[in-house]
Amino acid sequence: MKAIKSLVAATAIAVSAGAIAAEEKVLNVYNWSDYIAEDTLALFTKETGIKVVYDVFDSNDVLEAKMLSGKTGYDIVVPSSTFLARQITAGVFQPLDRAKIPNYKELDKAMMAKLASLDPNNAHSIPYLWGTTGIGINVAKVKERLGEDYELNTWDLVFNPEVVAKLADCGVTLLDSWDEVMPAALNYLGEDPTTLDAKLFKGAAKDALMAIRPSIRYFHSSQYINDLANGDVCVSVGWSGDILQAMDRADEAENGVEIQYIIPKEGAGLWFDMLAIPSDADHPENAHAFLNFLMRPDIMAGISNYVWYPNAVPASKALIDEEIVSDPAIYPTAEVEAKLYTFNVYPPKLDRTGSRAWTSIKTGK
Amino acid sequence: MINKQSGFVSRSMLVLGFLFLYLPIFVLMFYSFNESKLVTVWAGFSTKWYFELFKDEQMMNAVGMSLKIAFFSASAAVVLGTMAAIIMVRHRNFRGKTLFTGMITAPLVMPEVITGLSLLLLFVTLAQAFGWPEKRGMLTIWIAHSTFCMAYVAVVVSSRLKEMDRSLEEAAMDLGANRLQVFTSITLPIISPALFSGWLLAFTLSLDDLVIASFVSGPGSTTLPMVVFSSVRLGVSPKINALATLMVLAVSLAAFIGWWFMRRQEQRRQLEMQAAFDNK
Repeated sequence: MKAIKSLVAATAIAVSAGAIAAEEKVLNVYNWSDYIAEDTLALFTKETGIKVVYDVFDSNDVLEAKMLSGKTGYDIVVPSSTFLARQITAGVFQPLDRAKIPNYKELDKAMMAKLASLDPNNAHSIPYLWGTTGIGINVAKVKERLGEDYELNTWDLVFNPEVVAKLADCGVTLLDSWDEVMPAALNYLGEDPTTLDAKLFKGAAKDALMAIRPSIRYFHSSQYINDLANGDVCVSVGWSGDILQAMDRADEAENGVEIQYIIPKEGAGLWFDMLAIPSDADHPENAHAFLNFLMRPDIMAGISNYVWYPNAVPASKALIDEEIVSDPAIYPTAEVEAKLYTFNVYPPKLDRTGSRAWTSIKTGK
Repeated sequence: MINKQSGFVSRSMLVLGFLFLYLPIFVLMFYSFNESKLVTVWAGFSTKWYFELFKDEQMMNAVGMSLKIAFFSASAAVVLGTMAAIIMVRHRNFRGKTLFTGMITAPLVMPEVITGLSLLLLFVTLAQAFGWPEKRGMLTIWIAHSTFCMAYVAVVVSSRLKEMDRSLEEAAMDLGANRLQVFTSITLPIISPALFSGWLLAFTLSLDDLVIASFVSGPGSTTLPMVVFSSVRLGVSPKINALATLMVLAVSLAAFIGWWFMRRQEQRRQLEMQAAFDNK
């Protein structure tokens, strides 16, 4: 089976290689740092003869400034899903030609359906890697305060005022982005986390957050990585990758801090880093060939094995290290996965309402 | 007694000042020999990060790119900045001189984000209107860096020009030298220390710049600060410490050679002056 698959892939590449004969054998990729396996690019060059120029960026904002001013010179860029959605409306990406991406069929259907809310019909983008916005905890400190038998896999740790009050002295932190924390609060309250109803943000979500505000130590989107690893805080709402990294750092420091990442049973937000081709790309054929290459299960498995992020190609799971696949903090169980929701993109008016509510929450007024 | 005391106070101030300046650098160099991947936890001596560094193609490419851009930007900035300084200092009152002077120094106080974004928009507009620059990359970073470094060079050089004794130039002209000769054999040697420090300043600024370069870069032109900054998301690697250590050593060596060279020249000048007086 595998042999047939790689034969098909090889033919596909050979066929597409015929079509792209006119195009220069170069591909310019703009991705996050340390976000691809060490051998992926070399393999691609070996198979297709296309030389890859690989550059890295450090924030969605830099990428966005470049995309919106146009003529970036890149053929593949990797914005996060909500940024991508905004940029699609600005018309900076070209629709993908699925005929040139035979491996498109490998993608997880359920996930693509969720993504269609950000990229209508999935016309412009393919998910690269993804993760969740959940809770990182210092196991020992939390158990010490809540008792040995306390069920940890719940948003109660953050949104239940009584529980948070008990944890306040060891440090509870939230991400400083309202469009991720407020949906989580709404989800906890049993509302639809993807709602566009301004009243819910101004009312229910704000009230819930105000109730826990006295117990929150700070709002920040990266400081918690080190603070968790050093044991300075004990509960952080954060991104899966960052909390796994805090875990790594604590391990290496051998400071006895045990960190756990929790995707709460009530569900959690899902974010994606998306592959897309700018509309003014110079090498769209090569870009399609690269997308097709990345969606091959063995290639995608190699990437997940290196970066420890889950991907959207289910067939790759068989080739990923057991340690990664069986970790529910990386690959959530099917039951939890059904409850994951994507973050919505908010129209400008709601965006203002949300950030205003967030400011008053942060200042505690 | 009072003298002794103030001597002690000023000496300890000096020591504290130097500690403040150099301690962080020594700590950074110290940790480059750390076994552990964590930058702040000591786990034994090792030179493995130096080997890792040389194996990291992306980082080595970025180092090369940054050094190249810094060298060319500094050189261009010195030429342009010196020209601007001469006009600012030497040309008496022309229409709009204040405006000119103000505009030359404006990039000193302009936030980098604004410089970067406006240059990006400029390049995009130019590309749309004239088809140049077709691609952003090393060339556009070079232009951007030359632009803002020029302002610093102009300030450094103009202060030296203001202090310079003009009678030397007049004497040379009395002796029959034309303007070009005066400039190359009198003015240039006298302001050369300012050119040198202006060049070094521009080199450092260019090497250091993240924001402007991020905006105007294109495919295949990632500079060192961009690589360092983008890797922070996954934790700073001790490779960066190793790299910094090598750079500090290289810079110290260059500074030492420069100092030695200047001292030799100074000694020769003294000898020549001595000889000239003796022959009288």
